[in-house]
Amino acid sequence: MQRQRKKRSLKQVLGFIPMILLAVIQLFPLIWLVDFSLCKSNQLFTSGILVWPESLQWGNYAKAITGSNFLHYLGNSILINALAVILVVLISVMAAFACTRMHWRFKGLVSMLLMMGLMIPIHATLLPNYMIFDRVGVLDTIFALLIPYVAFSLPQGFFLTSSYMDSVPKELEEAAIMDGCGIYRTLVVIVLPMMKSSLTTVAIMTYLNNWNEFLMAMTFLSSPDWKTLPFAILEFTGQYSSDYAVQFAVMTLSALPAIIIYILLNKHITKGVAMGAVKG
Amino acid sequence: MKKVFSIILCALMLLTCLAACAKEQGQQTQSSPDSTTVPADNDATAPADNQADQEQDAEPVTIKVFSNLTDRTSGQGLIEQTLFDNYMTEHPNVTIQVEALDDESYKTKFKAYASGSSMPDLVNIWCSPSFLDEVIAANVLAPLNAADYADYGFADGSLAGVTYDGQLYGLPRNTDVLGFYYNKDMFAQYNLEVPTTWAELLTVCQTLKDNDVSAIAMDGQDGWPLTHFTNCMAGTILGADTYDVMLNSVKNGDYSDPAWNTVITAASENAALLFQPGFETTDYGTAMNLFINGQAAMFFMGSWEMSMSTDFPVGHFTMPDVEGDDQGVIGAYNGGGYAVSADSKVKEEAIALLNYMFLPENWSKLSWENGVCMSAQDFSAYLTGNESDLQKEIIANLNNASGITGMTYNDLGSSEYKTVCETSTIEVLSGMITVERYFEALAGVR
Repeated sequence: MQRQRKKRSLKQVLGFIPMILLAVIQLFPLIWLVDFSLCKSNQLFTSGILVWPESLQWGNYAKAITGSNFLHYLGNSILINALAVILVVLISVMAAFACTRMHWRFKGLVSMLLMMGLMIPIHATLLPNYMIFDRVGVLDTIFALLIPYVAFSLPQGFFLTSSYMDSVPKELEEAAIMDGCGIYRTLVVIVLPMMKSSLTTVAIMTYLNNWNEFLMAMTFLSSPDWKTLPFAILEFTGQYSSDYAVQFAVMTLSALPAIIIYILLNKHITKGVAMGAVKG
Repeated sequence: MKKVFSIILCALMLLTCLAACAKEQGQQTQSSPDSTTVPADNDATAPADNQADQEQDAEPVTIKVFSNLTDRTSGQGLIEQTLFDNYMTEHPNVTIQVEALDDESYKTKFKAYASGSSMPDLVNIWCSPSFLDEVIAANVLAPLNAADYADYGFADGSLAGVTYDGQLYGLPRNTDVLGFYYNKDMFAQYNLEVPTTWAELLTVCQTLKDNDVSAIAMDGQDGWPLTHFTNCMAGTILGADTYDVMLNSVKNGDYSDPAWNTVITAASENAALLFQPGFETTDYGTAMNLFINGQAAMFFMGSWEMSMSTDFPVGHFTMPDVEGDDQGVIGAYNGGGYAVSADSKVKEEAIALLNYMFLPENWSKLSWENGVCMSAQDFSAYLTGNESDLQKEIIANLNNASGITGMTYNDLGSSEYKTVCETSTIEVLSGMITVERYFEALAGVR
């Protein structure tokens, strides 16, 4: 009996080795980022994979925060991403409810049009969007980022929510309506709680898609008022010379919120994607 | 339930509106986009008091500047920012807002600006056909009066790249001399002499390779430094005709001049010996750091890097003679510059700022005295004798040359030609395509 337990534990240990290796490979870029962010700039160009810092350069982080508009850009990133997430979740749920539960003439066409957004590359829309925003007068405002961020995240959000909503039994809603529940109450009290993991996935994917976005931010914004975090890295990049260590510190700080959110909500993401995919 | 839903929507709207209001506040408080404080130049600000008083009550003017100098705390970015700060001190009614992006992002956004109606007032340009041809054709830039710059001391031919059909559209910033920065300590350690011929250069590289040191640190990822390298090689063969031969080849797709074949064959056969391993994936910063950290003995780049700081003495030499009949022509051209937007609402003020920047005692003086670069103007009046050895060597190399190559061939065609040319040069030097295929690719675009 004891030998069997020993065998099993040995088997388990052996099973862990490839998983640990895989985890190390996956996490290596992050380890590398943090390692280099604590070195001096001239230490970075060595033949080794990682550098052992002579002394930990916490000053890089201090410089990252004070040397640029880091905090201002962080605030902008948080505000713009929070608004984008709220809008995408809200519109996705309402659109998914309308297209999966309600019966109306053009629901197939509307679904198709929303899904088509998945196929449009950002680069193709850059100049046309610039010209439209220019005419409408929203260039260099929060809306210049909010509108495309919501528009590009919506198809994915709609896809996940509508396929998940299909799996929710209609009978529950019918029972609620028979008990006198209105349409919004049915959506909020009956449907939404059952879609928690799907909505979390939509929220996190929207957030991750937009957090590091630079191309549109660079094109649609000019003044520093609404610039987002990727600009902080740019500010430490000289035209032909670079303070690499501080850039690594800025990148670590930029990546930190995304990593923390991912770690906290990781369970919901996998659950939401898997269920949406299987039951869709 | 409807009520709850409405409240959520209202809260969202309120948040969005507050965000929009915050922007307006931000705009009001902004005077300069970069929080960096740049020291003002006392010489330039001192005589401006009277003028400043006069302009105190003038209409407030905001000049928007679009710059490719992202580092505002050192090098050319600092000089540019210093001049802007000095100008704002002398003209209290003027606010200068700078938007700075790196080269590639700059070019992408420049296209966006050109297609809209909000082009900044003063913009950076590249004084080459690959950038300017399309921009001039689209009437994006305002014409300038060439006569205004008669006393500005611009070097002979330096305005040619920004002149179209006899009309001046911009001003060049620098004279960029291309050459090799070399580690003097390392050359002494391995008993190496500065090479004067291509064969000597290969011998130097072989000695360094035998001692496990990379010879020339090369930014091969960007493409343009490689074309600059081959252009300099061609300059030693073609001499004073270099620019005309290159231009003719690019415009007519004719690469039959034997110099082309000699240069590309010599460069591609010896690339592995000349440059560090994996040069085709090395970017600018990495290449420069290989040199600065003593992992490569030489760094091929323009004179704009003359202020790089190293722990060892740095020397400078230009491209050694490839075919043994030294023509004395070195690689040099006028690269970046400035122009004023044609649709600018403050065109006169923007031109006034441009003119101020290029007064000989401004850009020319500051850039030389700070060891940043050599302006496209005559800066001999600002030679102090206290220049660094590296500055003196670069100046000597320029003075000893019988001529300069002018704009490099990757910049002589359309923007499409530039892309094809630079990509193909990376490919041919890294052995991905043959020399014949290289010329076919170049002949396929103009």
